[in-house]
Amino acid sequence: MAGLELRRTGGLSADSFFRRITGTGLIILVVALAGLVVAFVGYSNPLWTIQSPIDFLTSSTWSTGTINENGEIVDALYGALGAIFGTVATSLIAVLFAAPIGILAAIFLVEFAPPRLAAPLTFIVELIAAIPSVVFGLWAAGDLSNRLRDTIEWWIASSFGRFIPFLSEDPESPAADSVFRAGFLLAIMILPMVVAVSREFIRSVPISLREGYIGMGATKWEVIRDVILPTARIGLIGGVLLALGRAIGETIAVTMVIGNAEGVPSSLFQPGQTVASKIASNIGEASGPVAIGAMAALGLSLFLITTVISLVVRVLVRRFAVTGGRS
Amino acid sequence: MSMPEASIAKLLTQPTSGERARQRTNRVMRVLVGVAAFLAILPLVALILFVLLKAVPFLVPSFFFNNPLDQEPGILNAIVGSLQLSGLTVLISGPIGIAGGVYLSEFASPRVVAIGETAIDVMLGVPSIVAGVVAYLILVPVLGFSGWAAVAALSILTLPIMMRSTQEVLRLVPQAIREASLALGVPVWKTALYVSVRTALPGILTGVILAFSRALGETAPLLMTARGTNAENWLDFSTTMNAMPIVIYQYSNAASDLLIGQAWATALILMVIALTINVLVRGRTVNSRTA
Repeated sequence: MAGLELRRTGGLSADSFFRRITGTGLIILVVALAGLVVAFVGYSNPLWTIQSPIDFLTSSTWSTGTINENGEIVDALYGALGAIFGTVATSLIAVLFAAPIGILAAIFLVEFAPPRLAAPLTFIVELIAAIPSVVFGLWAAGDLSNRLRDTIEWWIASSFGRFIPFLSEDPESPAADSVFRAGFLLAIMILPMVVAVSREFIRSVPISLREGYIGMGATKWEVIRDVILPTARIGLIGGVLLALGRAIGETIAVTMVIGNAEGVPSSLFQPGQTVASKIASNIGEASGPVAIGAMAALGLSLFLITTVISLVVRVLVRRFAVTGGRS
Repeated sequence: MSMPEASIAKLLTQPTSGERARQRTNRVMRVLVGVAAFLAILPLVALILFVLLKAVPFLVPSFFFNNPLDQEPGILNAIVGSLQLSGLTVLISGPIGIAGGVYLSEFASPRVVAIGETAIDVMLGVPSIVAGVVAYLILVPVLGFSGWAAVAALSILTLPIMMRSTQEVLRLVPQAIREASLALGVPVWKTALYVSVRTALPGILTGVILAFSRALGETAPLLMTARGTNAENWLDFSTTMNAMPIVIYQYSNAASDLLIGQAWATALILMVIALTINVLVRGRTVNSRTA
């Protein structure tokens, strides 16, 4: 930006050379992105020769088929409904817990915590984001999962399980793994992201808006409820969406606790699978263009959904920047 | 003071029932947000304590110097594998990412900036398994399970991180410094390199280190590409390599308590490395910002 005008007058070849070299970096990124799209579309194509995308999205049967007397594969059907259900369920459970706790924690860090406390607390929350997901998975599989089963899960199942079919569980023999526990683990993993983004947007609310309302006699909570939350709303939604995207794509930790069972589970407290965990646990066995195509189709769905989320967040955040939150 | 004035004063200072309710809500909410903050840091404390508890009995010095099939088992090959994979990843994605970031900050027109930033946003949101699948589909049939395929997948993931962080820190360099340099007749490319990049260098390197740390913890893409091995592999990226996340994942499914214990010990080592890098880097950034 600094050089735009000068480049025209003093346009030396060294300048345009450097410009091209650095521009190549950006081109590589864009080409890599385009390459991802082309690869997924190309590799998933064989699948659509034997079934429609509607079957892929609405069937919960995942069958590689049988080989008939002519050596052809027949009766193969790749329905991802079970995996899609698991992804939706786990990521919604994650957001359900992480969004309120994360936003409230961010409010505490910005509005209530004394500076001496706020700095280390913020630091600690950010450290959670630095822990590799396989470590979260190991911890959950070895400890957290059982604790959740005996506390929150047991409580929900015994309180609501009789009225709500998806929340039932046999108290005598709870399942070894469950969709709910995977979702709760995801909540912990995306929490730092919710806190970090919420904190930035809450901090960016102009001090004059707060002071005006305090001057009218509002309590601290009233300032938060009536001024800060409405002003930062778009940014908070953006942060939760970003965290949702992270939860949808998280693979290894989920694979370690969800149980990797086929089909749509009868209850959230039964084992299941997500799109990502299905890829991780099935891709090694996939052979032949159609089976590989089914894996590529799973990858393509993950890529499409996270891309949509990234673009929506981008639009939201840009709108926030333009209007300063007052939309 | 006459009576009416006193009662007016009393009315003004004594809280009404509505006022008391508002104050009560305020107090309740203050406690509630404090509890939320406590809940937000609780998992970190629980996780660290539990990993320590499980890992320490298995953390003997030989664990760092032996390979999985040795008499006294260890994870030397996973440590060197992780360092090599992450190291080569930042050696590839670092220069490309920094170049792209410099271009976006110093040269690109607003339209190119908008397109580039959108592409970075999309790439940042790509789940790591997606990068793994692409490497598995395209590279593994050609190269086999190999370090190269793993480095390709990790580079797809770290490239946007590098580019974004470079662009962000270059944005912090005051425009006046660039203008001063240009006014002295310094060419644009030298200004970009010796003024902008030089000023932002600590921040750019921070981005490189954080990308390294990110690559170190990735698991899913490695399982499909580098695959893991019991052998020690120095710099042969054309064949399978071991890595700490692979060891944690594979051993966690094992039936033997000894292997599960080694998974915990490896998790502790990986976690300590990741947290140390982050503490050092973030501590540094905070210091340089306040100084």
